[in-house]
Amino acid sequence: MDIEVKNFHPLEVKLLRHVSAGEDITADRIVRELDYKIGQCNQSFSWLCAKGCLEETARKTVVTYELTDMGKAQAETGTPAQRIFDLLKGGEPLSLPEIAEKLGLEKSDIGSAYGSLSKAGTCAMNAENKAYVKNDALPADVTETAELLKKGLNGPIDETEMTDREIALMARISKKRGAAGSPYKMNEREEVTYRITETGLAAKDALLKANITGEEIGVLTPQIIASGSWKTASFRPYGLDAPVQRLIPGRHNPYANYIQWVKDKLTSLGFEEFDGPLVENEFWNGDALFMPQFHSARDIHDVYYVKEPRHCREIEEPWLSNVANTHENGGNTGSRGWQYKFDHEFTRRQILRSQGTVPSAHQLTKAKVPGKYFGIVRCFRFDEVDAKHGADFYQTEGIVIGKEANLKDLLGLLKMFAVEVAGATDFKYVPGYFPFTEPSIEIHIKHPVLGWFEMGGSGIFRPEVTKSLGIDEPVLAWGLGIDRMAMMHLGINDIRDLFSPNIDSVRTRRGN
Amino acid sequence: MPKFETKEKFLFSLLGREYTDDELEQVFPRAKAELDEHDKENGVFKIELNDTNRPDLWSAMGLARLLKNYEDPQIKEYDFFSSKCFTADNKGRELHVGNRAKEVREFSCGFVASGKTVDEDILLTLIQSQEKLCFNFGRKRKTIAMGIYRNDLIQYPIHYDGADPDKTHFVPLHMEEDLTLCEILEKHPKGQEYGYIIKDKPVYPYLYDNAGKTLSMPPVINSAFVGAVEIGDNNLFVEMSGPILKDILLCASIMAVDMADLGFTIEPVKVIYPYETEFGKEITVPYYFQDSQSCTVQEIKHVLGEDINVEDAKDALLRMGVYSVSEGDTIHITCPEYRNDFLHPVDVVEDVMIGYGLENFEPTIPRDFTVGRLTPAEELGRKVKDIMVGMGFQEMIYNYLGSRREYVDNMHIKGDKVIMISNPMSENFEAVRPSIIPSLLESESVSGHATYPHKIFEVGKVAYLEPSNNSGTVTRNSLGFMSADGSVTFNDANSFINTLMYFLRTEYTLAVPEDDPRFIPGRCADIIVGGKKIGIFGEVHPAVLESWGCGMPAIVAEIDLDCLL
Repeated sequence: MDIEVKNFHPLEVKLLRHVSAGEDITADRIVRELDYKIGQCNQSFSWLCAKGCLEETARKTVVTYELTDMGKAQAETGTPAQRIFDLLKGGEPLSLPEIAEKLGLEKSDIGSAYGSLSKAGTCAMNAENKAYVKNDALPADVTETAELLKKGLNGPIDETEMTDREIALMARISKKRGAAGSPYKMNEREEVTYRITETGLAAKDALLKANITGEEIGVLTPQIIASGSWKTASFRPYGLDAPVQRLIPGRHNPYANYIQWVKDKLTSLGFEEFDGPLVENEFWNGDALFMPQFHSARDIHDVYYVKEPRHCREIEEPWLSNVANTHENGGNTGSRGWQYKFDHEFTRRQILRSQGTVPSAHQLTKAKVPGKYFGIVRCFRFDEVDAKHGADFYQTEGIVIGKEANLKDLLGLLKMFAVEVAGATDFKYVPGYFPFTEPSIEIHIKHPVLGWFEMGGSGIFRPEVTKSLGIDEPVLAWGLGIDRMAMMHLGINDIRDLFSPNIDSVRTRRGN
Repeated sequence: MPKFETKEKFLFSLLGREYTDDELEQVFPRAKAELDEHDKENGVFKIELNDTNRPDLWSAMGLARLLKNYEDPQIKEYDFFSSKCFTADNKGRELHVGNRAKEVREFSCGFVASGKTVDEDILLTLIQSQEKLCFNFGRKRKTIAMGIYRNDLIQYPIHYDGADPDKTHFVPLHMEEDLTLCEILEKHPKGQEYGYIIKDKPVYPYLYDNAGKTLSMPPVINSAFVGAVEIGDNNLFVEMSGPILKDILLCASIMAVDMADLGFTIEPVKVIYPYETEFGKEITVPYYFQDSQSCTVQEIKHVLGEDINVEDAKDALLRMGVYSVSEGDTIHITCPEYRNDFLHPVDVVEDVMIGYGLENFEPTIPRDFTVGRLTPAEELGRKVKDIMVGMGFQEMIYNYLGSRREYVDNMHIKGDKVIMISNPMSENFEAVRPSIIPSLLESESVSGHATYPHKIFEVGKVAYLEPSNNSGTVTRNSLGFMSADGSVTFNDANSFINTLMYFLRTEYTLAVPEDDPRFIPGRCADIIVGGKKIGIFGEVHPAVLESWGCGMPAIVAEIDLDCLL
């Protein structure tokens, strides 16, 4: 067996070095010989037994009797019975209160002590109810009790060294608990005898060979440094396989960190971040994106409506007129439009933003050309909340504006995202459909862990969207499904866990 | 997204050959379709269609039409269409629309399909087409409702009009009782489901033949007799109704070409309106109404980034089932009878792209140089997060929707600034959070088992009512933190704030807040920067802790970070 000497505590070391094969090892002995506190001694026994270095050979209950403070006083000045006898023997008869007063004893003590003298016929009461000595000899149990008390002055008495008579007497004057009112306290303890095992002997040899004495420096203190005592001492080494306690550090949230990482990736690719309010209106959430007000395409964006205020005050011009015209007849966008009457009240209806494309639309009204923009923004969908759908979630979307931006650039951009953001090993493009882009492209990627999945949707904004918002140049628009990648990154299967309020699970969660 | 089911054999017979799943996955993207499921045991495909503007693709016939033509371009001619310039022979079949239809559901149209016996496959596919077209394209029957009837039982002309809901009655499909239109809305399951579309109108839509036999009450239910199509029928009348004429004409065209592809002979019906429509008073259906669309090779190059010549573009369009002619650099397309999605030249360009093959475009990287940049709020947020982490706090990230109980009742506040949702999915998600503090206390309430101390924070958004803004609301970036354990006090919160503000280089003072029931009176403070309150901190009131079911003392703080920008 391999002995790792570093794993022994100084208390164990000293004990092992002190004992030899075949010897009885008891707490008494170790306390006496190594000057251990009883607690330290028991600790060492328990550790060494756990390591297989000691084994128990015997166990017995040891009963000892120890004088209490009261017992000590009686041993020195006599028991109440003895003192009453001595008082009455040399003087006049006295009443019990008078005795109590003269001896400075409690009436109750006097009562029981006199009772025992009277019962043995040593004392009696006269006609005036005063006690006198009737028989000049003390009863045997009074004198024997006195002797037993004196014996206790030399230290605790082991029950095994007492006569039967002494044990019987002791029973009357000792108590196990609440012994302050009794002369003796009875102590009972388990005494275990140990013996060193083969393992223990091997450990002892290893300690001797390694010259470990148990006197090595444990915690290095400022005092040790100041005194220089370390110069002649050695340091106790720490075991490497001892159990370690993990700390609770201050820490970033791993999902928030992932989002931050994606933001950094995108800025490193030349994208400027945008943001926007949570409360939006139908205009920016749908109309500006050329989604007809009453078309089924809006079914896929079922939204939460704000209770109050139901409508925003106004939609900024010229965007409102441009968009309304575009819906009705194409406006100046080269389109024939959706050919219906645009509802100017509905467009002001307030909702919670339902798609990440909304801030992209806002950005068009203030974008520079060329420009690259992105946002990772919270969106809200009217959906049953389950493992795949949260009440609110992040969408990552962006746009690229450039005179020459075209489909091939869009494919290149998607490829860059697949490689840089998702770490994809393979990818393919398929035609997609979004109401606000034409053409529309989805990118499906082969993820090292997840396999093939749709990583994002994209397209070139329809001229109906861009021209109405003041942009004549082509605009590439894209969105990435980073939630799925984040969940994979964090090793979770339930989208609700991304926003878990559970402190324990957030504390221990790690990114891959 | 619409999905439909089709038997393997049925789809393969329409495609002209069998395909493996891999092959289907190769060709489906041409129709923006996905193989959602393949039930091999029963030989059934479940197919999802992504393009909500292409209802013609939502059936096995439509999907097969495109895919088959892509591989072997031969655009099928459908000779039963009338148009502005040509009117097909309706052989005396007429549908007369009455004056009162306008008051409830203005337009109706239909055609006859005969010469093919309805079998199980055909019945299933017709029912599915009807469902998809009316539900997805027709907004749950609001704008398109479709009925299929046994033509042998019909005596022409057919009449469509608004009818008195209390006096008109018939036996609806799947029932035996003769009910008034009103009673049908109350008693029939379809009446309960779709009745709301017409309920408040003075008259209800009613379709009946010249002998007075009821065909249906669109968009609710067919009659039990004429409207009960079964396997074995071989002469059908197909009718659509709705408030948008172009939508129901398109829908009729889709059904007509689908049924022609199934082997039916399509026989036109002349619809006569008592008033002018955009296509006149008389429309012979199926009717081709679509406008032409054009695009130039320059537009194609501009959008796709590839030099595609006129002939290649025309070939690509042909593969997509779109016939075109060129005039110099301009390509004029003829919109297929079953489509109406060419709103803009870019819609033509997309068909060129798919017909040309997406795999033939080489990706390039955008050449323009642009500067990447985070928002100032993000930059500040990161600074704040780092300081909080350094002080031993765990960052959290929470949902922004919750209940009024959490955001208002548990916080013992009035809640008059909370943004409520008028159509919540459940009361658990009925309000936008006005503060991060309830989120933090929710954490505390579910984390009693986690080792103390609990030190958590979030940098996130809050939103609340703000009458001075256009939207009457405002969204702010906010920091909230909480520390809970047996010995935490106001002084701890004060130290955290002091340390945070020191490293943010922000001078601040403290002030006694107005009554705030969230905190123990005398143990909370407003944080003042530049004379303006930007935040608050203090010991959480035991009444609040009790409402949340928290047993540990806690301090919380919240700071409006946008005030520090």
